[in-house]
Amino acid sequence: MNLFGMLELSGSALGAERQRAEVVASNMANVQTTRTAAGGPYRRQMVVFQAQRVPRFSLALAGLARENTAAVRVAAVVSDQRPPVMRFEPGHPDANAEGYVAYPQVDPVEEMTDLLGAVRAYELNASAVQATKNMINQSLDLLR
Amino acid sequence: MSMIETPLMRGLERVLDQSAFRHQVIAANLANVDTPGYRTRDVLPFAGEIEQAMAGDQPSFTPVAHEIRGLPERPDGNNVSADRESLLLAQNQLRFTVAVAFLKEQFHQISSAISGGSGS
Repeated sequence: MNLFGMLELSGSALGAERQRAEVVASNMANVQTTRTAAGGPYRRQMVVFQAQRVPRFSLALAGLARENTAAVRVAAVVSDQRPPVMRFEPGHPDANAEGYVAYPQVDPVEEMTDLLGAVRAYELNASAVQATKNMINQSLDLLR
Repeated sequence: MSMIETPLMRGLERVLDQSAFRHQVIAANLANVDTPGYRTRDVLPFAGEIEQAMAGDQPSFTPVAHEIRGLPERPDGNNVSADRESLLLAQNQLRFTVAVAFLKEQFHQISSAISGGSGS
């Protein structure tokens, strides 16, 4: 049984949750962005998490191809397809013929909730890493 | 059985193996706390398996985790409960600590026997 493999497992979650927090930060930073490289206003981004089986060579060798534990990875970062918010600002350089400007569909409440969820999940996995480290230290303690 | 291996040691070794595997399963559940559709997994009758391991009949232990039923499910199909998993994490860690402490004690006893009880 590999205790160090668990660090990678929890590490995958730490990375994924951090990317989720980064995407939230990017959404909040671009709450007023009306110009993007793709044209049009900024589109809200979302991460898609996916469970990923970890192939373990030693287990496959022992005939245990069925691996039970799964790491997590960010499968994709997708754009929110909701229509942009139209605000009447005739003086704005990006206003359309009727004087409306398309602003990104970013809801601060939604983003903050997502950010809190990411932070809590990060903490949870950080404590799992701490527990794993304690177990490794205790195993090493057997040598003394 | 060799001279410096007591029957208790083998049992404790299996307890350590099982605790380590269960720790891995719990860590995987925690890693997937936000993955849509992920189902909580666990080693099924854990207490019973420890007794079996201590009885020492099986030559080795096969790590198998199953899906746990009866947990409340979120709308995205995920049923990982952070409370349940962190509780089990703490519990499992204590079990590991206890087994390590007993194992150390066994080694100390042998060490003491070798030195004729004069030192540790």
